[in-house]
Amino acid sequence: MSRIQDFRQKPPQGFMFPSWDRVLIYLCALFIVCWSVGPFLWQMSTSIQPDRELMSPTPHFFPYPITFEHFVNIFVGKSFHRYVINSVIVTITTTFICLLFGSIAAFALARLDIRGRLGILGFILGVSMFPQIAIVAPLYVLASNFGWLDTYRILILIYLALGLPLVVWVLFGYFRSIPQTIDEAARIDGARPMTIFFRIILPMSLPAVVTTGLLCFIAAWNEFMFALAFTSDINHQTVPVGIANFTGVHYVPWGDIAAASVVVTLPLVIMVLIFQQHIISGLTGGAVKE
Amino acid sequence: MAIAEVQSQETTLKPRNIRVNLPRPGPLVLLVPALASIGAVSIYPVLLGLWLSFRDTTLASPTDAFIGLDNYFQLFSDSQFWNAWIHTIQFTTASTLVETLLGLMIALILSERFRGRGIVRAAMLVPWAIPTVVTSKMFGWLFDGQNGIVNYLLRSVGLIQHNVDWYGSPDFALITIVIADVWKTTPFMGLLLLAGLQTIPDSLAEASVIDGANAWQHFWHIRLPLLTPTLLIASMFRALDAFRIFDLVYVLTGGGPADSTEVLSTLTYKHLFSALQFGYGSALATIMFITEIVIAVVFGVFLLRKMREVGQ
Amino acid sequence: MHKTAPHSKAQQSSTRQRALNQDVRSDKEEISTNLKPEDGIHRRDFIKRTGLALAGVTAASTFLPSVRRAMAAGTNPTEITFSSAKFYGKETIAEVVDAYNSSQSKIHVTYKELPPPSSSTEVHQGLVQQLARRNGDPDVFTQDIIWIAEFAAAKWALPLDDHFNAEAMKEYFPGVVQACTWQGKLTALPWFIDSGMLYYRKDLLDGLGAKAPETWGELIDSAKKLTSAGKAKFGFLWQAKQAEVLVCDLVSFVGSNGGSILGPDGKTVSIADDAAVEAVQLMHDLIKKYQITPEDVLSWDEEPSRGPFTGGEAAFLRNWSYVWKIAQDKANSSVVDKVGVVPLPHFPNKKSAACLGGYQYGVNASSKNKEAAIEFVRWMSSPETQLRFATQVGLCPTRSAVLDDPKIAQEQPFMQQLKSVFIGAIGRPVTPKYPQVTLVLQSEVSRALTSGNVKAALQTAKDKIQAIVKT
Repeated sequence: MSRIQDFRQKPPQGFMFPSWDRVLIYLCALFIVCWSVGPFLWQMSTSIQPDRELMSPTPHFFPYPITFEHFVNIFVGKSFHRYVINSVIVTITTTFICLLFGSIAAFALARLDIRGRLGILGFILGVSMFPQIAIVAPLYVLASNFGWLDTYRILILIYLALGLPLVVWVLFGYFRSIPQTIDEAARIDGARPMTIFFRIILPMSLPAVVTTGLLCFIAAWNEFMFALAFTSDINHQTVPVGIANFTGVHYVPWGDIAAASVVVTLPLVIMVLIFQQHIISGLTGGAVKE
Repeated sequence: MAIAEVQSQETTLKPRNIRVNLPRPGPLVLLVPALASIGAVSIYPVLLGLWLSFRDTTLASPTDAFIGLDNYFQLFSDSQFWNAWIHTIQFTTASTLVETLLGLMIALILSERFRGRGIVRAAMLVPWAIPTVVTSKMFGWLFDGQNGIVNYLLRSVGLIQHNVDWYGSPDFALITIVIADVWKTTPFMGLLLLAGLQTIPDSLAEASVIDGANAWQHFWHIRLPLLTPTLLIASMFRALDAFRIFDLVYVLTGGGPADSTEVLSTLTYKHLFSALQFGYGSALATIMFITEIVIAVVFGVFLLRKMREVGQ
Repeated sequence: MHKTAPHSKAQQSSTRQRALNQDVRSDKEEISTNLKPEDGIHRRDFIKRTGLALAGVTAASTFLPSVRRAMAAGTNPTEITFSSAKFYGKETIAEVVDAYNSSQSKIHVTYKELPPPSSSTEVHQGLVQQLARRNGDPDVFTQDIIWIAEFAAAKWALPLDDHFNAEAMKEYFPGVVQACTWQGKLTALPWFIDSGMLYYRKDLLDGLGAKAPETWGELIDSAKKLTSAGKAKFGFLWQAKQAEVLVCDLVSFVGSNGGSILGPDGKTVSIADDAAVEAVQLMHDLIKKYQITPEDVLSWDEEPSRGPFTGGEAAFLRNWSYVWKIAQDKANSSVVDKVGVVPLPHFPNKKSAACLGGYQYGVNASSKNKEAAIEFVRWMSSPETQLRFATQVGLCPTRSAVLDDPKIAQEQPFMQQLKSVFIGAIGRPVTPKYPQVTLVLQSEVSRALTSGNVKAALQTAKDKIQAIVKT
């Protein structure tokens, strides 16, 4: 493996990796950061500017004067923390169950002999393609009949159904690319399929699992339409609905909304920073043994 | 030699007779949780939607009769429908293409080792992480014709003379929405493609070094083909999601000005939620559904072919 | 420094409970391991104690609710439900409802909150789905003024003429009462009112030596003078985003020329008549010909147009009443004490027309507790409650007498100035098919404003609307 690292750091002779390539990479990385984070930085700046400055003709990037009233507003006046707690509960549960169900299903489809697997995959994809706006009304009636309005479980169930197709498909593709020799070696050692799955395949697929988990998490975190339709009191409403509730009849409290989005996005970013440090980088280095 | 080894290890699509220790119905049991969750939520509404599309149901009045394909005939002769359909196709194509290319570039950059890589990876995710209700309004502000930062910046570097009326003009509004969506969703593609790139073993890079290939050849002949299944799956999901774009358009422009950004989702939303025409709205939703099936099938065919190729 | 009080009754029972729990726990452990003969006595004790506890708990649970209910009301209060879009100010609607519940014991109202009015399509959808099931829930609801005809024609709203006679209705603004009536029957009870109005910069007009404009010509004149002198960046700001607000602006312009969109019978379409065409042509010219309005209004709704005005960049603004509070707020506005309000301008020899807005009450036609519902609605629309809504939640009352109340002069003086504006306010087209009609209007008027083919676009609108309302 050190040879690979060498290869990346110092171009060996015969391989066309001129040194200005490194500069190009750093430039591109800088561009990616600016492009991705720029608007968010502007949001952060907005969240500490007083309302008056926000309406001024020339946009101020550097906040002056600075005020923290927006953060106070959202927590004291609008109980934003309750929305965050609801979102955290719903989203973490959804992601966990989604990964569990989805990875098992993907494993079954990729590795075990199932007739009509393409049909099943197609069904999973197909049913999820129906426009969501057309699904809201019938589901609302159903949920109302079961008395499941204003609960966590209805949101978790719906987000599960929305997130599973992606998880199943991506993990299916990923599992298929893992050579069967690994399975066979384990089977010779007497392992049963579920053991193979949990002890061998899953740890090897951590990049894909973490990626789809992250995407599933964020999708559930940001989902708005179903949350708005199915929850109506602060005990169950999630963050997007909470932010939408900031708006009065016409007035949009831009500073408060920016503060809320900072509160909501910063932990996500930090979480990603922590996760990917430990899991994503360099795993495949030792995974695929020849 | 390394390449040949890898090729022989690639799986093919032909089902191998792997001895499974579980009895026959076993594997299907593993599918039940996922299928049950999806089915419980989707089957009834989809069937109801299909059924409603053949009726003239409106919530506000007691009419509710079977009218066969009348809704569809009305749709096909409705210029607003075709207008929305074309915009949706334009938007889907543009955003999927751009996001795939950008996502690929980002993934390639992030798969290289350099200092600060972790920070770039985390930073890249920010657009996707911001709540959509905020992004829509934020882009409204950023691209505001009079007070927006984008115009301000473009003017200060001299790229434009006068303020561009981004989403107040029928010519630019759709482009603005594409830009907003590209900013928001490229991380989705980038992340998936990055995960896909990481399945390609470093040993292949070693092999290319030995074989004397340069970086471009290494990419084009080795990494890209191995990445293609992931690429196709990710872009398929992206295309299907782009087809159903709703939040951005509805909040930013409401379908305007002059219907220049009307897409199928906003049109369906207006018919279902505002006008309460459940029959007509369901027919619209069904047409969306059918178009998406076509898109998925096209992708699927490519996918199958690529997977078979790679297997050889 | 006070002595700790002896254990209260609750604490004593909890310690007893804790002791009981410990016994149960230790007994359980002993039962699960090898049972020794001398444990027999412990077991009997344990069974006796848990049995007593269980009996006590079941007895209490059957007793308590009915005891509580009996204590709360002499008899059982009638339960009704109330669904409303979410409004708030110093007080929330929930608090007002609580005040009603504690003020009397015959009726108990459960308040179910709908999304805020900024998500009005969702409010509409949520309300319609509940009402369409015709099971009596919710008993009382609030409806945006544009939904009244729709709900009345669908027979979801109960006609209220028997309970509120003409005399009683005289106390409200006539425009609102008219909007609450469908085919001669009163199906909504007025709650609050809002309308569009003209905000202007007093200081800039004083500099010109001009007074607040009464006709469009005067407004264009003043605006042009101010923009060419560089005193204001924009002349006149309004809203033309392809959304409901465009129809509100349309009604103001068309009405100010004596025209209309739909006749009072709800079937004659007059949007393509000369008066309307002239009005929409004016809207187009404001942007393209006189250029006192930036093209950006085509994508602006209330907030983006309000921003530049309170930021000091515009001379005139058409918007709702909420702008006043913001304009006078030092933390939010650069034009404090520089703003005046008048009714919108009109064409020569015509009358000013402002677009009516606001939510009103409705009673579910399928309600199982109609008497209770009407009682509640009567209280909500009473002068005292309207005063409360005005001072605590900032919603303008629909009773002209309440508007004159000294308390309002104290806390919301601006509202009193609006009386002249409210009296001249007219509603949007009254038809049960309004949701479809407004979509057509939004689409075609936006097209007229961008392309300039006003006559053609309005003719298309007329044809489409005719097809919609003729059924």
